[in-house]
Amino acid sequence: MGKQKIILPPDLPPEVSEEEIQVSDEDLQFVNDNLDYAGFVSRLDTHSITKHVTRVADLKEDALEALYEKRLKKKKALQKDEEEEEEQPGIRVGHVDTLPVKTLDGQLYYRTLLNASKPSEGEGEGEERTNETDKGVVKLTKAERRAKLKKSKKEAKKQTKELPQDEVKDNPQRAVLAELKEDVTAEESFETKKCKLAELGIALLADPESNIKLLKEMLQMCNDGNHAIVKLGLLSLLSVFKDIIPGYRIRLPTEKELEMKVSKDVKKMRYYESTLLSAYKAYLQKLMVLEKVSLYQHAVVRCICTLLDAVPHFNYRESLVEVVVRNISSSDEVIRKLCCDTIKSLFTNEGKHGGEVTGAAVRLIANYVKAHNCQMHPDSIQVLMSLSFDEDLGRSEAPDKDKKVRNKKYKKGNRSEESSHLQPTDRKKSRQEMMSKMRDEVAADYKAASFTPDIMERRRMQSETLSAVFEIYFRVLKHTMQSIVPRPSGDTGTTHVTEAHPLLGPCLDGLAKFSHLMDLDYMGDLMDYLKKLACSGGKTDSSGKCLTVSERLRCCIIAFKVMRNNLDALNVDLQDFFVQLYNLILEYRPGRDQGEVLAEALKMMLCNDRQHDMQKAAAFIKRLATFSLCFESAESMAALVTLKHLLLKNVKCRVLLENDPGGGSVSGSVAKYQPYASDPNQSGALASVLWELNLLTKHYHPTISTLASGISNMSAAPTQAYLSTLTPQQAFRDLSLERESFSLKSNAAKSSNKRKRGSEGVTASSVDRVLEKAGSLDEDEVKKKLSEHYTLLRGVKENERLRSELDRTTRALSLYDDYKKQKKQKRRRKNHVS
Amino acid sequence: MAKLGKKARKFAKKNLQSVLRHKRKTNSMFKKKASKRKQQDAVEDHEGDKLDLSSERKPEVQDIGDISLDALLGGDCSDLGEDDSDSDGYLEVSTNAFEADMDDKTYLGEDGDVTALSVQNKDIDSELVEKKKKLDKLKEKDPGFCKFLENNDERVHQLSDEEMFSDDEEASGNDTQTVGESLNSSKLKLITASTINVLCQEATELQNVSALTSLLNCYRAACHYGSESSGFPDGTAVYKIQNKEVYSTILAFMLCEADKMFRNLLGISCSNCKKETILDMKNTSKWKTTKPLMKSYLRSTLFLLNQVTDSKILVFSLTQLRASIICFAGFPSLLHRLIKISIHLWATGDETLSSHAFLVVRDVAFLYGNDWFDICLIRTYKAFIGHCKFLEPGMFNHIKFLRNSIVELCSMDLQKSSSKALVSLQQLAKILQSALQTKNKEAVKKICSWQFANCIDLWVEFVSSNIHDYDLQPLLYTIIQIVNGVAHLFLGPRYLPLRIKCIQWLNHLSCCCGIFIPVGSFATDILEYKVGKVGGKPGKDFNFSTSVRLPKHWLKSQNFQEQCVSSAIELLCTHFDHWSYHISFPELATVPLIRLRKFYETTTNEVFRRLVKRLIDQVELNVDFVRKKRDEVAFSPKDQQSVESFLQCEKSSGNASFKQYYESIIQKSVSQNLFTSEKFR
Repeated sequence: MGKQKIILPPDLPPEVSEEEIQVSDEDLQFVNDNLDYAGFVSRLDTHSITKHVTRVADLKEDALEALYEKRLKKKKALQKDEEEEEEQPGIRVGHVDTLPVKTLDGQLYYRTLLNASKPSEGEGEGEERTNETDKGVVKLTKAERRAKLKKSKKEAKKQTKELPQDEVKDNPQRAVLAELKEDVTAEESFETKKCKLAELGIALLADPESNIKLLKEMLQMCNDGNHAIVKLGLLSLLSVFKDIIPGYRIRLPTEKELEMKVSKDVKKMRYYESTLLSAYKAYLQKLMVLEKVSLYQHAVVRCICTLLDAVPHFNYRESLVEVVVRNISSSDEVIRKLCCDTIKSLFTNEGKHGGEVTGAAVRLIANYVKAHNCQMHPDSIQVLMSLSFDEDLGRSEAPDKDKKVRNKKYKKGNRSEESSHLQPTDRKKSRQEMMSKMRDEVAADYKAASFTPDIMERRRMQSETLSAVFEIYFRVLKHTMQSIVPRPSGDTGTTHVTEAHPLLGPCLDGLAKFSHLMDLDYMGDLMDYLKKLACSGGKTDSSGKCLTVSERLRCCIIAFKVMRNNLDALNVDLQDFFVQLYNLILEYRPGRDQGEVLAEALKMMLCNDRQHDMQKAAAFIKRLATFSLCFESAESMAALVTLKHLLLKNVKCRVLLENDPGGGSVSGSVAKYQPYASDPNQSGALASVLWELNLLTKHYHPTISTLASGISNMSAAPTQAYLSTLTPQQAFRDLSLERESFSLKSNAAKSSNKRKRGSEGVTASSVDRVLEKAGSLDEDEVKKKLSEHYTLLRGVKENERLRSELDRTTRALSLYDDYKKQKKQKRRRKNHVS
Repeated sequence: MAKLGKKARKFAKKNLQSVLRHKRKTNSMFKKKASKRKQQDAVEDHEGDKLDLSSERKPEVQDIGDISLDALLGGDCSDLGEDDSDSDGYLEVSTNAFEADMDDKTYLGEDGDVTALSVQNKDIDSELVEKKKKLDKLKEKDPGFCKFLENNDERVHQLSDEEMFSDDEEASGNDTQTVGESLNSSKLKLITASTINVLCQEATELQNVSALTSLLNCYRAACHYGSESSGFPDGTAVYKIQNKEVYSTILAFMLCEADKMFRNLLGISCSNCKKETILDMKNTSKWKTTKPLMKSYLRSTLFLLNQVTDSKILVFSLTQLRASIICFAGFPSLLHRLIKISIHLWATGDETLSSHAFLVVRDVAFLYGNDWFDICLIRTYKAFIGHCKFLEPGMFNHIKFLRNSIVELCSMDLQKSSSKALVSLQQLAKILQSALQTKNKEAVKKICSWQFANCIDLWVEFVSSNIHDYDLQPLLYTIIQIVNGVAHLFLGPRYLPLRIKCIQWLNHLSCCCGIFIPVGSFATDILEYKVGKVGGKPGKDFNFSTSVRLPKHWLKSQNFQEQCVSSAIELLCTHFDHWSYHISFPELATVPLIRLRKFYETTTNEVFRRLVKRLIDQVELNVDFVRKKRDEVAFSPKDQQSVESFLQCEKSSGNASFKQYYESIIQKSVSQNLFTSEKFR
């Protein structure tokens, strides 16, 4: 305890408001004992001190007047309270307090004297602060004061212990107070500080305008040596700020404005705002400093995130955003999640800040991605998915113009009507002009005051944001591209996905979502990139893949999505993607790659395809059928569903179901089927027959076998225009093993004609075969064995018997010793008797 | 003395007090259980067993931690209990009792064989003689001591008695006679060779019941010989067996002839009788006279089975007992005991003994049917599960035998056994499901064990051997999904043995049931295992066949690579062979061929390249063959019947090159396996 006190700077202002300090008997004793030192009390210039105390040093006169009035009232009330307590001598608090009371304001004087004296003794600069705190204390509302007074002896005791602590700091006679130090435990001071924090917080929340100064006190508590207290301080400040920060941005008055004469209220308001702002700034600075300390990181990040979430419109938000973005890819799960959620909420609740922060955040993320060379956690890009762009805004130019034109027309019409109906006089005209002028002014003012920036502004912001977003996406794509070219062969394992491109996944997702907002000029580049990425694993596969099959499949999917989002307005050849898919199907590995992605690819590229290229369709049909012969039921099912879809759409492809040599009339340029071809158009699949279906009808999974037989009979019912609603993804999910319920009904009530096999069937069993080998048993041998067994048993029995006999004899022998002893004793006794 | 008799082992334990204490504790517990159990009806018993299988497992499902495949194991050992220990099979005989002129000393040194035990006995004897002499001397010297000894006699005896009884199994219960005293009892009878011969003759030729009775008493004494129940309840005579010849004669004679004699007494034919025959007789006077005799015989034989450890004797007695299994119809409790003993022997015994024991179980299940079949099935299953937790190299064949015999037992009543199989499979599926969905560590560990694997193995075998006789489709589907799930769950190269097993099961099922199960991707995955840098040096010897999971260091060894390539080729071959005549073979082979080629291009090891190349060539040959044949036909895929008949003639002739190749591969792997298993034996 003593140590702590030494560490504490001597000029630290007391953490307990003077209001709560009660002087105990011990203190009194102390003062009496050291009368020499206490002599200054009597010698003090009470007048000047009173002046200092009762007056707020820095405030203007008119403000002071109000304060004086208030204080007087309060003091009276306080006095009343204490007088009440004086009547009850049992309460020590009152007793102690009454001691120095001589004058009207006696009790306060005494206390301020004690505390004010300390700084005056040490450093003169302390005085002002004391006054400040004093003022804060004085401003406490009645209700709170009462609540405090109600707190019983226990707290009083604690406070008295605080007091000596303060005294000790400055008192040179430490040795005398050694015992006192010991009494003060860390826990108690912790408790006190906690209570103090709570009180301050409550006071601030109850009446922020008058208690705004308390913020500084709370801030100071955050400098405490105790981690818990610091955390508590930060968090309670957070909740206070969250509550009292106004719904607008504070602009500090300029010099000019300060010079202007303003009313009391305005002054008060200005004071309040400036104090709040400076406290907030100090708080943020504190947070920024502590954010680097790992001990406080969680609490600090939580504070920052909550603040940004709650008051994104307020001053200094830039620094908040900066911190949050910096932590967006943190390795700490909790911090990352907090930051990502905050960013997401920023994006989704743009109304709170008018969209300005969104742009800033995205820009920051873009810079961050650049700085980290795309090696970040996927979450940090994933947040961009929650961005929303007002599409009307983007295209608003034209409609705006239209509107204007229409408005003009309307106005014109109106005017023409007016003109036709009324002949406007000059006076009227001028009046009208004035009116419209006024209206315009008001509108401008309103606009400036309100948070909604005008359309142009918003458009500008949005386009900036968009460009930042696409910058991120393209950077990721570019990075991936670059990393493919110089490939290190350190790719390990087929089972786990390489983490070389953590951002690629969310990047592709984002591209799919926002591609329609992109400039058409870039679209070609984008498709080019995607194509290259999708092809990346293709030829140089032997040296280890850079992109996994799933990622490449996703590239294909995204390309198709981009195309579809742009309503196929683009004139890009998607043929390459089909080639990729055609080959990727074979590279798919059930355990390693995600089946869902494959199913999605099948759905996007084959089921939703609007082109009717028979060659291609036939090639895919054949490949899917072959594929389903080799993989697990879920994949097979997805493939078969797609196959069926293709067959339904491409009626001519049903020649595959018929054994028509040479592909009949529709055979393409390739006369013979090439199963290993890598280009669907070169495979000559139309010449083949779907024999796979026969094997698939024997598939163990009933769903697949029924589907297969259904497909093989399709040509029998050609007019059926029924399109199954089952998508490949759905089919995959239904049959995946994770979904397998394994619940089966035992159909025990089946025909029992086969139920029992006679013993004839049993005889030819493995057991008999074994027995034949072993040959029959010889009875004599058994007899011999039996007699051996007997001998053994007898031996054991005999041994047992002999042992017990032996034991008994030994014991009898040992008894002999006892006997001898007894005899001796008897003899001795006899001798004794005789 | 390669194998110590049970008695001898017990004796050895005698001088180890802690063991004994433990034994006593278990004994007393056991007794309590038995007595509680006694009140229950035998029938109830069976029902309980039946419920056992179905209900006992279901609650376990909730908590994976508790699902253990052998949880059903313990619990019913209590019916071994001395259910009706009333008379212990002693038969009251007044005639033909031979007074024994006892002479202890004659035993000593009578046998020529010098065993370790007899040597020890002699030593102890000489010591005893010495000490006795000393004692006698003391007694002579000091008559006072003699008196003192008499006074303190209690102490001497008490101590020794205490020791004796602490050694005793509580079987002798309240009986406080010491051996010495019982020896002195007047009722002691000595059995000599001549008496036995006379009795035997009388019993067989004259069918004298009283002779049979005394024979049975002798037999009983022989069976109990050496066991701890030295003291018999009052009123029974104590037989003493003269020498080893008498002992072996009486046992052999009874075991051989008893069945015949009982059948004569009851007047039933030697073969072809059912339990109803016995049950019908229950009220006849014949039965009433024969019943106690029969009971005594059966009980004594069962006792003997429990006591003896020598496999030859066990086999002999089991085979003889098997002939009179029908006699157990009157004594359900004894039948329970028989089942328990034989299942124990089946699970633990050596090859011959095990198979003989199984024959007994099978006969019981066959003759008694219904409930008894259930009991047999459940007990064998439990024993199997309990026994296959660990796999030693030598146990491989034994486990296989156990599996086959359970399958055989199951085949006797497919309806019942398939419902049991379903329950068991559902249990497996539950574990698997939780492992798949939550990656529950405990469940994963449970799956990756021999117990789980053997359990799957058992049902795979069951399904594949019975699929043609009974509708096992739901079972088949479930088991395939379970195997697929296991293969899906363990992808890493460390689980190669388990994966190979899975593919083998799938191949087996596909082959036996004529259904298509896609395996190609599983098998080629094995080829593509990447384990980083391969050391190239041959790894430490490691028995591949007895582990589910490979040790890490092994993954980098050359052996692992070899194993991967050879097993992949083998599994693919099996898969292809099965469909080699199917019309879609070319398509079936397409994807695996692509992957094989890729492997062929990338691998640098010449041996692997050669092996894979050979496979590729063979498969391609067959592809061309099928394709050529296929081009000739005129039917379409929808014409299932024509497809079925496609190439059937060629298949039956069976001399295609692929078939030969397949056989050579299989032969090679078999010899390889033999080699490795020899190495680790």
